[in-house]
Amino acid sequence: MFRILKKRPQKQHPYEGRSNRNLPLSSELDKNLQILKSIYMGCIDVIYHPFLIAGKTKALLVYIDGLSDTEQIDSSVLAPLMSKTIDKSITLQGTCEKIQLSNIRVVKTYDDCIMNISNGNPILLMEHEEQGAALGLAKWEKRSIKEPESESVIRGPREGFVETLGVNISMLRRKIRSPNLKMKKMNIGSYSNTSVIIAYIEGIANQSLIDEVQNRLQKVEIDSVLESGYIEELIEDNVFSPFPQLLDTERPDVASANLMEGRVVILVDGTPFVLIAPVSFFSFFQAPDDYYQRYLISSVIRIMRLFFMLISVFLPSLYVAVSSFHQEMVPTILLLSMASLRESVPFTALIEALIMEIVFEALREAGLRLPKQVGAAVSIVGALVIGQAAVQAGLVSPLMVIVVAITGIASFMVPRYSEGIALRLIRFPIMMLAGTMGLHGLVLGFIGIAIHLCKLRSFGVPYLSPIAPTIGREMKDAFIRSPWWMLNTRPHLTGRFNKYRQAPNQQPKPKK
Amino acid sequence: MHDKGKITAYQMALMIYPTIYATAVLMVPEITGQYVGRDSWAAPILGSLNGFFTAYVLYKLHKMYPNESLIQYSKHIIGPFLSKILGLFYLFFFLYMCGFILKEYSFFIGISLLPKTPMIAIIGSVVIMASLAITGGVEILGRASQLFVPIFILPIPIFTIMLLKDLDPKNVLPILEHGLLPLLQGSAAPQAWFSEVFLISMFLPFLKDPEKGLKWSFISLFAVLLSLVSLNLLTTFLFGEMTASYTFPVFKAVRIISLSDFFEHLEAGIITIWILGAYIKITVFYYALVLGTAQWLNLSDFKPIVLPFGLLISLFAIWEFANLQEQFEFSKFIFPFYVPFMLTVLPTILLIIAKIRTRNTMKKEPPRISNY
Repeated sequence: MFRILKKRPQKQHPYEGRSNRNLPLSSELDKNLQILKSIYMGCIDVIYHPFLIAGKTKALLVYIDGLSDTEQIDSSVLAPLMSKTIDKSITLQGTCEKIQLSNIRVVKTYDDCIMNISNGNPILLMEHEEQGAALGLAKWEKRSIKEPESESVIRGPREGFVETLGVNISMLRRKIRSPNLKMKKMNIGSYSNTSVIIAYIEGIANQSLIDEVQNRLQKVEIDSVLESGYIEELIEDNVFSPFPQLLDTERPDVASANLMEGRVVILVDGTPFVLIAPVSFFSFFQAPDDYYQRYLISSVIRIMRLFFMLISVFLPSLYVAVSSFHQEMVPTILLLSMASLRESVPFTALIEALIMEIVFEALREAGLRLPKQVGAAVSIVGALVIGQAAVQAGLVSPLMVIVVAITGIASFMVPRYSEGIALRLIRFPIMMLAGTMGLHGLVLGFIGIAIHLCKLRSFGVPYLSPIAPTIGREMKDAFIRSPWWMLNTRPHLTGRFNKYRQAPNQQPKPKK
Repeated sequence: MHDKGKITAYQMALMIYPTIYATAVLMVPEITGQYVGRDSWAAPILGSLNGFFTAYVLYKLHKMYPNESLIQYSKHIIGPFLSKILGLFYLFFFLYMCGFILKEYSFFIGISLLPKTPMIAIIGSVVIMASLAITGGVEILGRASQLFVPIFILPIPIFTIMLLKDLDPKNVLPILEHGLLPLLQGSAAPQAWFSEVFLISMFLPFLKDPEKGLKWSFISLFAVLLSLVSLNLLTTFLFGEMTASYTFPVFKAVRIISLSDFFEHLEAGIITIWILGAYIKITVFYYALVLGTAQWLNLSDFKPIVLPFGLLISLFAIWEFANLQEQFEFSKFIFPFYVPFMLTVLPTILLIIAKIRTRNTMKKEPPRISNY
């Protein structure tokens, strides 16, 4: 028994980390070929193309089929090198001058070679040379730029990020042409070797924030990063919270707007979703078109969104609490009809609400991944099952159906899926509380969520700012969207180092 | 420092407001009504003087020892041994007050919302929620009050407007019919509540802007004064002399509201909002108890003792008072002397001693007090 109390020796974690092949290239071409072949043993897509430069010097081109532009290799590399016109300089330097390419880098180690080959850059190796050349000829099939489906807008740019990092960077650069848009690159994933880029605007973003993001990313040691969600979970502040602490977006305009407010954007190769940090609770309620529509409309819509957010979290609980504990709150006429409607229902309000909410969630999830043709069938079945049959069978009361329907609609009003799903999840514990302790339980549930949100931080920024802690001047972009001529300052917590974003007093007025 | 958090004076003011007001709104209108009848609006004005005085005394003490709470700096004033005894008094007082508030809370919720629920469930659930906030430290308390207190204040103007058609301002006349003595008697209870502003002494060391501490304490007290006066006026306008005969007259007033025959019986709604304020009050006293204990025992961290003290205050809440009448009697006759003695008289004595001691040391050696 005492053995349990003894401290066990710390187990060596079996994770190997990055393999180290930092050996320099050899001057013998055959040896280089042999080592590369041993590294890429079993990789049938690697092509080794030996040839003679100007008919004399042995050379080797290594690339992966399908990652490089073979037409260019033929016309710009092989054709000039194999012609007999080269006479004197058969060094690497001289050879590279003959290649009709703008992007050539020198590689010195096998590690460099492998990295370039995997990225699609063919490697040129020569006899008697201890270094090779990486030719920037990477080219592979990519998706065309389309409007992101999960973040469609009424008014605003219709382009979305794609899976290729280079394209995504260019899209950001097209929006913000200033050289102050800086990017730091790092590779994460010992096997996948995924490029991850931290983009920020120098002079606006807080330097300590950039350092913090970089530190957290450097600590990540994982075999592969296939989506930005991997990274999100490894760098967030509170891992036990249902609430997202980084904003993900597919839209370059959203990413650029956040860059201009002093935030940091993390782009990951292979996914159109970029991460934005730090964010607050209210960032998830700012839709892109809020800033493109007229401010009055946007403000009203934003208030409505927040109101319906509360509805989506608390309405089923309120129904449960009122109908099982506080009937006196209901006006008499409504109470009578409520009682008669609930007469045939065998369950308590809590069970009734739970059944309906869970069925609703199931329908939503089922319809989500189905092809569009089948999805319609699911919604028809759902509408019939939830709407009519359940009521006629006496399983639930019609009032409950209305409550569930309103809750469902309300929960889809949150513009960000990640936040919406978190809010949908927390309404279940609150329903339980309301079912056991009525309104008292409901308020305690509200208090619990509020305290949790008060404790949350996203990269040092309080999650509930600007209401807790209250920052008066930030209210201009929380509950409402002030007109552009009033949004003179950047958000205090992220943009205080470059406070003003525009000249003051730009409100259009008639000339005096 | 046991808590590394920092709050602003504004956040502190928002914490103090429900600390005084949340339970005052339950008890004070009835107790003052029994003495002064229709002049009950004037009682909080007299009572608030004690609050302003207490805040001033504690601010002066804080100025002398800026980085410490009363439990810590008392050793500079009356020596280590006596200060430990004094600290124990205060800790026990906080413990007692936590139980007192929780009991009041559970009586009220039990009567108005959950008549069949056992008291331990009500008390336990609130204590768990309060401990959740306290483990986050003073910063979380500040943020939570910024979130809750605006919602807590909101119903006063709304319900005043809704009741407007039932109000009869003539009910308040004649003013001071029976002379000043009943008024003085009636102001005994409010002044006890106002002395709870003492809790700023636990929060002043955490202020980012300590120079605004007194200003915001006064603003907070003034807000409480305004709320109490307006509520007493409201109930007097509504019920006249009858006010004192109701338990919780403010909530009785809400029950009268009827808008277009549809919005009726809104008291459950207002009670749910009141819970937010009461929650802040419980949390503030609970936090004072836990932090004070950590300071008294020189613990490096207060978080491990939060839950054990949660159990203790729940037990105290169950042990204190068998029924609401007993608690009302206590609030009427003992509370007005017990609470101000701890929260106003003792700090005043400490301030006087501290002033005399610093004057003596000033004579000997020129200023070195500000180092504290």
